[in-house]
Amino acid sequence: MPLRVRLTFWYGTVLALVLIVFSMVLYAITARNLRDTVDESLEDTATTAVRLLETNGFLPLIDEEILLSQFPELTRIDKFFQIFSPSGTITIRSPNIKQHKVPLSRTALDAAFAGQSIYESAQYPKEPPLRLISMPIMYRDNLLYIVQVGTSMESVGETLHRFLVLVLVAIPIALTVSLAGGWFLAGRALRPVDRITLAAQRIAAGDLSQRLSMPGAYDEIGRLAATFNNMIGRLDASFRQIRQFTSDASHELRTPLTVMKGETDLVLRKSRPLEDYKAVLESNLEEIDRMTRIVDELLFLSRADMGEVKVESMPVVLQSLVEDVHRQAKLLGQERNVEVVLGTITPVIVQGDDLRLRELLLNLVENAMKYSNPGGKVEISLLRDGQEARLSITDHGIGIAAADHKKIFQRFFRTDVARAHTKKGTGLGLAICAWIADLHKGRVEVKSDLGQGSTFTVVLPLVTLPA
Amino acid sequence: MRVLVLEDETKVGCFIKRALEEESYAVDLCEDGAKGLEMALATNYDLLVVDVMLPGMSGLDVLKNLRRERIQTPVLILSAQSQIDQRVKGLDAGADDYLTKPFAIDELLARVRALLRRGATESPGVLQVDDLMFNPATREVTRGGQRIDLTLKEYALLEYLMRHTGRVLTRPMISEHVWNQDFDTFTNVIDVYVNYLRNKIDRGRTKKLIHTIRGSGYMLKAD
Repeated sequence: MPLRVRLTFWYGTVLALVLIVFSMVLYAITARNLRDTVDESLEDTATTAVRLLETNGFLPLIDEEILLSQFPELTRIDKFFQIFSPSGTITIRSPNIKQHKVPLSRTALDAAFAGQSIYESAQYPKEPPLRLISMPIMYRDNLLYIVQVGTSMESVGETLHRFLVLVLVAIPIALTVSLAGGWFLAGRALRPVDRITLAAQRIAAGDLSQRLSMPGAYDEIGRLAATFNNMIGRLDASFRQIRQFTSDASHELRTPLTVMKGETDLVLRKSRPLEDYKAVLESNLEEIDRMTRIVDELLFLSRADMGEVKVESMPVVLQSLVEDVHRQAKLLGQERNVEVVLGTITPVIVQGDDLRLRELLLNLVENAMKYSNPGGKVEISLLRDGQEARLSITDHGIGIAAADHKKIFQRFFRTDVARAHTKKGTGLGLAICAWIADLHKGRVEVKSDLGQGSTFTVVLPLVTLPA
Repeated sequence: MRVLVLEDETKVGCFIKRALEEESYAVDLCEDGAKGLEMALATNYDLLVVDVMLPGMSGLDVLKNLRRERIQTPVLILSAQSQIDQRVKGLDAGADDYLTKPFAIDELLARVRALLRRGATESPGVLQVDDLMFNPATREVTRGGQRIDLTLKEYALLEYLMRHTGRVLTRPMISEHVWNQDFDTFTNVIDVYVNYLRNKIDRGRTKKLIHTIRGSGYMLKAD
């Protein structure tokens, strides 16, 4: 069921309940008040009658004519009266009660003997109900007479009936008007929600560039729209990133595939000397290695993104790590005719993962060698600068244009110069370096000019050893 | 038929060049976009095979520049990107065809043949001059129903002559379309190859098809 219908339904139900309960209470109170008023006037009349009888002496048998002439208020048209003897027989009764015999009830008689007044209601067929008061007249604790004053409840009944009719007509009208109002208000309140839904549908259909128009007020809906826009913005950005990443990854993997397919396809087109097949297989092996490296590094990065890479946090003595890597790099350098030397080395301890930091350093040193010219020199130095360790790797190779300094840390980005310099390289190494540095709350800085070589500096926070 | 291949991935460029050369095309290879554009502007190539991602200048920019210079050489774009919008972008930039990496050599060669056919004023698949038949797809050459075996260079030379029958082809024109940039202009290699062809096609037949136009070059025609 739509929210609008439900809101209106609940609103209507609650309102109807309130109106009905309210009307019932009002009806009960009114009925009670009306009866009380009747009772009071009955009591007044009865009290007056009793007092008059007392002041004028008690006659054993009261003549009706005399009584009426003496007490004209007893003949008031809306009330009748009767005077009973203690035995319950009527001695006098007013002329306006001709039609019926209204006998004195047993309870009234008992109450009279106890010296108490009592109210009663009586109902005769096809007549409005009657309200009666029976009041004893006592003389020295003896019951002399019982005065009963009665009146018709017809006007009270009519008043209540009119009230009931009014309520029965007014409640449905009020309810209908309120429901219409509620329906309108709910619709009005929900209209922005509909707009958001429509926009969300458009966006869900793939157009992430869409945004919700923000209602001016910063109300619940405005906040919802803002939150929604914010979410779409982040979704858009991360989808873009993923699309870029997937397209880059597929491009990087397609290149070795193209080489393998093309070379194999070509060599198989006709029979050739054995060396040709060997050359293709060797080339394919290179490409397989390249793909393996890409896939490994991609896997590592995606596990890093998911937070699945386990990282130790131990004190790491950087200078001995540098010396280890230097020994390793010196051997590699001999193969490539690049000299790897140590510069200033200051003893420094940082907190982190020894293996990852080793990987970071080795990556940067290998890069430096890869992009050096034959006969070039790579220098590693380790310095202490305030609360930071600065581990620098300097080469005099091809360098990086200033415009690319930020981009080189992006996945798969390789400068044209780097691509032209060597086909080896996945474009992922520096992304991994940046990730490792970030993990140690550090960063990688670049200083480089095209053709002038580069200096990569890993900046790591120092461990403050407890004194 | 002379082809320029612009491809920065050395291995890919090499096997494309080799595949085309085995089909008797004269192939130049270039790894840089800007340099490639210069070459395409300087030489009258019959076909360009261009990779999209190139250092110096992107393949699409090379293509746009060529078309701006009103050079209508057929261009086959190679790309690792297979998305439709990428293909559309390439074709809209003025490319005649689009091939996604990785690709089969057969498909590359078939597309190259199709583009060259289109370039030569909607010629049919099989070329014919008198009773000399030339089928680029099967690489079969016959005269009067008799098979003629040709070397790669002879084949390339004959294809160029057959695609331009009835027109005088000068030695520079022939060298430009049949040999690649390594060709040394100051030799008589062209005359030597024309003679080889003559031996295989016209020798012992009354009707000669290859004619020498004195002072300018050669012509292939039926009468």
